[in-house]
Amino acid sequence: MGNVLELQGMSMSFGGLKAVDNLSFSVRENEILSIIGPNGSGKTTTFNVISGLYEPDSGDILLQGESVAGLRPDQVHERGISRTFQSLRLFGNMTVLDNVLVGMHTRTKAGVVAAMLRLPSVRREEAAAKAKAQEVLAMFPGRFSGPRQSDPAFSLSYANRRRLEIARALASEPALLLLDEPVAGMNPMESREVMEQIKELRSRGYTILMIEHDMKVVEGVSDRVIAMDHGVKIAEGSYQEVATNHLVVEAYLGKRGAGTAS
Amino acid sequence: MSLDHIVTVTIGGLTVGMIYALVALGYTMVYGVLEFINFAHGEVFTVGGYVAAFTLFALGVSDQMSTVAIIGSLLLALVLSMAVPAALGLLVERVAYRPLRGRSRIMPLLSAIGVSIVLQQLIIIVFGPTPITMPTLGISSASVSILGARIRVLALVIITVSVVLMAGLTYLVKATRIGKAMRATSQDMEAAEMMGIETNQTIAFTFVVGSALAGIGGLLVIMYYGSLKFDAGFLYGLKAFTAAVLGGIGNIPGAVVGALVLGLTETYGVSMDLGFLAWFVVAGLLMGLYVQLVLAPKKRLQHISDDRRTPGYERSIANIYRLAPYLAVRTLVVERTDALRSVSARHAVRLMLGNLFLVVTAAVLFANGSSRIDTRWQPVIAFVVLMVILMFRPSGILGKHITEKV
Repeated sequence: MGNVLELQGMSMSFGGLKAVDNLSFSVRENEILSIIGPNGSGKTTTFNVISGLYEPDSGDILLQGESVAGLRPDQVHERGISRTFQSLRLFGNMTVLDNVLVGMHTRTKAGVVAAMLRLPSVRREEAAAKAKAQEVLAMFPGRFSGPRQSDPAFSLSYANRRRLEIARALASEPALLLLDEPVAGMNPMESREVMEQIKELRSRGYTILMIEHDMKVVEGVSDRVIAMDHGVKIAEGSYQEVATNHLVVEAYLGKRGAGTAS
Repeated sequence: MSLDHIVTVTIGGLTVGMIYALVALGYTMVYGVLEFINFAHGEVFTVGGYVAAFTLFALGVSDQMSTVAIIGSLLLALVLSMAVPAALGLLVERVAYRPLRGRSRIMPLLSAIGVSIVLQQLIIIVFGPTPITMPTLGISSASVSILGARIRVLALVIITVSVVLMAGLTYLVKATRIGKAMRATSQDMEAAEMMGIETNQTIAFTFVVGSALAGIGGLLVIMYYGSLKFDAGFLYGLKAFTAAVLGGIGNIPGAVVGALVLGLTETYGVSMDLGFLAWFVVAGLLMGLYVQLVLAPKKRLQHISDDRRTPGYERSIANIYRLAPYLAVRTLVVERTDALRSVSARHAVRLMLGNLFLVVTAAVLFANGSSRIDTRWQPVIAFVVLMVILMFRPSGILGKHITEKV
């Protein structure tokens, strides 16, 4: 199976601070790759560079063999990378359904004039988009059923908002799904449920790159794991390999802590 | 005030209000997306009026032409008075605002004021400093009778056209793909971008729609009043901006509500005789008293926690209320002292300011001497209303605090 995403020596600095330094890794088709690392190790910056928010200082980002480095975020999204956010960024005053429909923006094309005239082509597209959005929402059984779809997103519970962000990201059927701490702030029961759903996404054929701090979740879903510290990749491999790597233990516990732990 | 007078004044107020609304929508939409006040928007409105008048002159429109030709020319003027301001709005956004996006807030603001001055000067350079006038047409002076009042057909046309445009705008924003993109951009531009929305294009489109609406506003004004001056955009722009703030800036239905409140207040304010106004003031005072002294305390009483109702707190509130003379009346009429105690100090202060406003208004009215308020007071009334409403509802009539982006 080929690589969906390939980072080649990507570096990104802000002022004098090197947030990500010469980072290379690849995400294989239909796998779940997790990035772990202490706070400030450059994980979210990596996500932001991949989604086009920042242009990398050097290196390249290939999506299915084609460079997406330097493209605008909306262009990156159109090429097939969609994401969720560590701190929720739903469109709070829009309805649940509209949030998902916004996620399909690059997959629909109705122009202003055609939409105002309600041409048959537009009606067909709207109906198809709505059906697709409902299909995506149905992947979270019982969470977004019926009348709840016309509730504003801000009125949802925290866990449901996290779910809705995933649904919004899935609406465009991305080649690569970036999940930034999908279970942050959830209780153990909710985390387990989301974990199952992430696994189900893999079985549906999605390729997922995930940042997560909850090691239970990382262990439970990841095919492979990458560990980062101070912008540098310090380990890569299976969860067991990475979790026992002495550099990783050191990054989390400090040198002395690592000493007593081993 | 007789019925026909009420009908005349109400329709007059609605007409002016609708025109304010068409301009206010542009302010509020741009603010919604960029959190920036486009001070050049008033000039875009003026350009719409000038383009309409110029087109009609260029076509040589007069009552000697056939009805079809007149309607055709008016439609052409309508299209051009939308298209030219729309193009202008697009250009201004591209040249004067986009390069400054992401800088400190004061920069686009200064740029907007600069653009406003440049546009005014350009209008003078192209059309001269004298007001541009409309060719006289029969339709301008035609009128119908409604409940005994003579109403200009144009007023009804303005109200109808505005309602249709606003319905169209609502549909555009609520239901279409680009409308969803606009709403998403206004709530979280970065997230919208990462969900595939080309935000620059969406912002440009917002300017196009707002400017086209203002342009139609210009056309309607010049048809209604017959002439337009190069600096008309200043006062209309300011009023429309006021309306947008009044309704809750960034809120589309709010801009319409704010504009109608402003238009009706202005028109009623200058056309009521004192006897009627006195009733109006008394009614307002009674309503205010009822809300502040009966409804609000009841509601507050349910929320107030026991630890806050210490004797000291109660005494301080009671002291504030002793300053308000009507308190005595109130205590005589209804013995519900516990409700009174729970009124907060802020409420009391607002109440007193409200009464101060009423006293000042009454004084101004009597000092004015005549039985009617001079039309020169119109802008004053408008801004006093704005201040009073914002005192009680700081985020506007329909404005609400947007949930935090957490």
